[in-house]
Amino acid sequence: MVNPVLLIAVPLGLAFAIPLLGFISQKLEKYIPPVAMLFNLIVSLSLIPKVLEQPIVVSIGGFPPPFCINLVAGPVGILFSAIIALVGLLVSIYALDYIHPVRHSPRIDTKLSNGVKEGATEKYHMLYLLLLTGATGVVLTGDIFNLFVFFEILCISSYALVAYLGDRAGVESAVKYLIQGAIGSSLVLIGVGLLYGLFGTLNMADIARNIDSVSPISVFVPLVLLITGLGVEAAIFPLNAWLPDAHSSAPSSISAILSGIAIEVGIYAVARVIFTVFGASSIFLFLVLLGLLTLLVGEMSAFSQNNIKRLLAYSSIGQMGLIIFALGMATSYGVVGGLFQIISHSLSKALLFLAVGYMIYRTGSMEISSFEGMGKRMPFTSLAFTIGAFSLVGLPPFVGFPSKFLIVRAALAKGEALFIVLIALVLAGTVIEGAYFFRIVQVLYFKGGETNPNRREEAPIAALIPVCILTILIIVIGVYPRLVTGILNSAASEFLNRVEYIRSVLG
Amino acid sequence: MSFLNNYIYYIGAFGLIFIGLYIILVKRNLIKVIIGLSILDTGVNLFLISIGYVKRGTAPIFSRPGIEAARMVDPVPQALVLTAIVIGVAVLALALSLAIRLYQHYGTLNLRKIKEQRW
Amino acid sequence: MRKIIGLLLLGIVAWGIAVSLTRIPFGAPKTKVGRYYVDKGVPETGATNIVTSVVLNYRGFDTLGEVTVLFIATIGLGAVLTTGRRKKSERKIEPASLILYTGCRFLFPLILLFGTYIFIHGHLTPGGGFQGGAIIASAFVLIYLGCRGRRISELGSKLAESLGGLIFVIVGLVGLAVGGYFLINFLPKGIPNSLFSAGIIPIIYIAIGFKVGSELSSIIDKLVEETE
Repeated sequence: MVNPVLLIAVPLGLAFAIPLLGFISQKLEKYIPPVAMLFNLIVSLSLIPKVLEQPIVVSIGGFPPPFCINLVAGPVGILFSAIIALVGLLVSIYALDYIHPVRHSPRIDTKLSNGVKEGATEKYHMLYLLLLTGATGVVLTGDIFNLFVFFEILCISSYALVAYLGDRAGVESAVKYLIQGAIGSSLVLIGVGLLYGLFGTLNMADIARNIDSVSPISVFVPLVLLITGLGVEAAIFPLNAWLPDAHSSAPSSISAILSGIAIEVGIYAVARVIFTVFGASSIFLFLVLLGLLTLLVGEMSAFSQNNIKRLLAYSSIGQMGLIIFALGMATSYGVVGGLFQIISHSLSKALLFLAVGYMIYRTGSMEISSFEGMGKRMPFTSLAFTIGAFSLVGLPPFVGFPSKFLIVRAALAKGEALFIVLIALVLAGTVIEGAYFFRIVQVLYFKGGETNPNRREEAPIAALIPVCILTILIIVIGVYPRLVTGILNSAASEFLNRVEYIRSVLG
Repeated sequence: MSFLNNYIYYIGAFGLIFIGLYIILVKRNLIKVIIGLSILDTGVNLFLISIGYVKRGTAPIFSRPGIEAARMVDPVPQALVLTAIVIGVAVLALALSLAIRLYQHYGTLNLRKIKEQRW
Repeated sequence: MRKIIGLLLLGIVAWGIAVSLTRIPFGAPKTKVGRYYVDKGVPETGATNIVTSVVLNYRGFDTLGEVTVLFIATIGLGAVLTTGRRKKSERKIEPASLILYTGCRFLFPLILLFGTYIFIHGHLTPGGGFQGGAIIASAFVLIYLGCRGRRISELGSKLAESLGGLIFVIVGLVGLAVGGYFLINFLPKGIPNSLFSAGIIPIIYIAIGFKVGSELSSIIDKLVEETE
């Protein structure tokens, strides 16, 4: 059995070793992130059978749990780390061709080029690998200050990657993202400090065990601070002003990672704090309403967009709202639906951004109207985009359908009239989503034709491989959801059953 | 008076936090906002340290054989603050480099004017 | 208007935190985790500076994350600020006066020595890798201020940064292979209060000291390059 620490230690070590490798040969640097993520993927998948029975608790440093930092590799942790490794691997294969250096070329308009930048690209690959390491660390850790540290690794590398190309839009978005993210982090730190002052320990299981020994009002303030601080990264409604700018100005491979991994890890952190550490059942209704509000705001803003990447960013906000809605229902169906929606959104949104990346490069513009006739010029990419869009809306046989179906079923199973109204509003949001995606598909396939239809400029092979694999996964999991429901059920019961979590860590 | 004696560190730390938050929310110049961020970080670190204080405690270092363990302050918040200071410095460095680039592109540091990304 | 909304929000946050803080008495003796570290710190880790043993042994994973964060900031700064070719500066650099120049050159090795002392004795006296690294970086800043035109070598700083981080991870992995836990203290603990004690702690702090020193110096170097 492989120690789960290697899921974090190996990518970290490889990221530190990239400059040393660069002294030997600069061409090899871009192959290190795929290798590291392949290792992570294989280890995560091999640990799945083991964690389904019993979460693996590893202590760092060899001391007994409340007195050291421990990693809790349970079903939730390994599920998330498998998703991170998979999406990270595919996007890093995409980036083999997308991010390339240009030496001493005359004026390049970096506005809409793909990741073209003068000089070597080793910094991109280091930052990329460290972002994924931070994300894996967040989902595996069992200590709340360690969560903060790895969360900061994730956030700071994403600030640097959004500004990577150095153009006007990227730097402006990165500054705004940085300021909001830094305020969020400081709020998290205040919350952690208050928790330490109240309980004397930083271990999540230990705090969870003692949470009832203090009065509810003094626990309420750290909870609010933690949700607000972590919610900046998780794109919860009033805190997501940075998201449309950041996700649309970053290079497309980074947009795929931000939308596909970073915000999902934010939601994981919020869910872990609410479900496991605090067990705060009284705020679930508030979460449901907040999720609904986020969903409606996101979808309605996306509907009026003309810039394709901004539209996809607003759609991410909407989907995060849906996930929070599902997790807030706190029933078994609800949490399984929410986690399934996380898988579906990761795969679909990553696919959409990867497909859009080369489309933007070929046309030189991010306006939807300039994609007319793309169906003929880039047939594979347009087909992939269409599949991703349909999956996000929730059409069978793609992966979005079982996840949305589970969420609707969870709401109906609650039985209260309020939830019938809420789920009707959610479905209204889905209709709006369908409307704007169909509009794009219509532009791709059924418009245009003035341009020479015989000119086929498909994306290069390195970009098509991940796109193909994502498409296949979306279809396969959509048709056989039983492939993932096993681990999703265990993951849901890990979230809902705090006593079991505490017992497995502290004995 | 004894209230002040007991809570002066908390009041000081939160005073800094609020000054920092106020600057970030209200000021327009990017450099001032970054300074506000730095003040916010300092305030949070001061708050964390003051959580760990023990009355009449000394530093947790066993420099002579005769020091008792009961009279030492809590070492954990000090370790937390070490990490938090370094993280604060890292964010500050990145923010300043972005400010330099922003000035090169836009020619101004007024956040109201740097609003090309519209709705 | 904006100011009023800002003040209102802050007022609500202030009230909430004040309510919560009255539950945390100031200066109460610490129980649980704090006590355990102070009581059992020296026999279990061998370092007499309990804060160091917490930072590197009990909560060593946090320190690994912190080292990574500083690494990310340095790389991010380099990525954002590269202007392509290193432009030769066109401004005439006025050399500093003789006293300043000589004084800086005289002080530079002394400050380096002091910084090295701080991080080598991290497990015995207050201090450690980060503090020592910051002092080393301030020596380099002195050189930038006093002896204009000199630069640190990019190759050396890149080497120091990568090797420092890599040594930390490798020590952890060796602990995993030898002792079964990542970052376990597998070297002999020695006699407390002597220089060669506390197992892996001095090794990691030396690596961190070099790493942080070179990182902070290279941050200053890139910022200086930007303005010339």
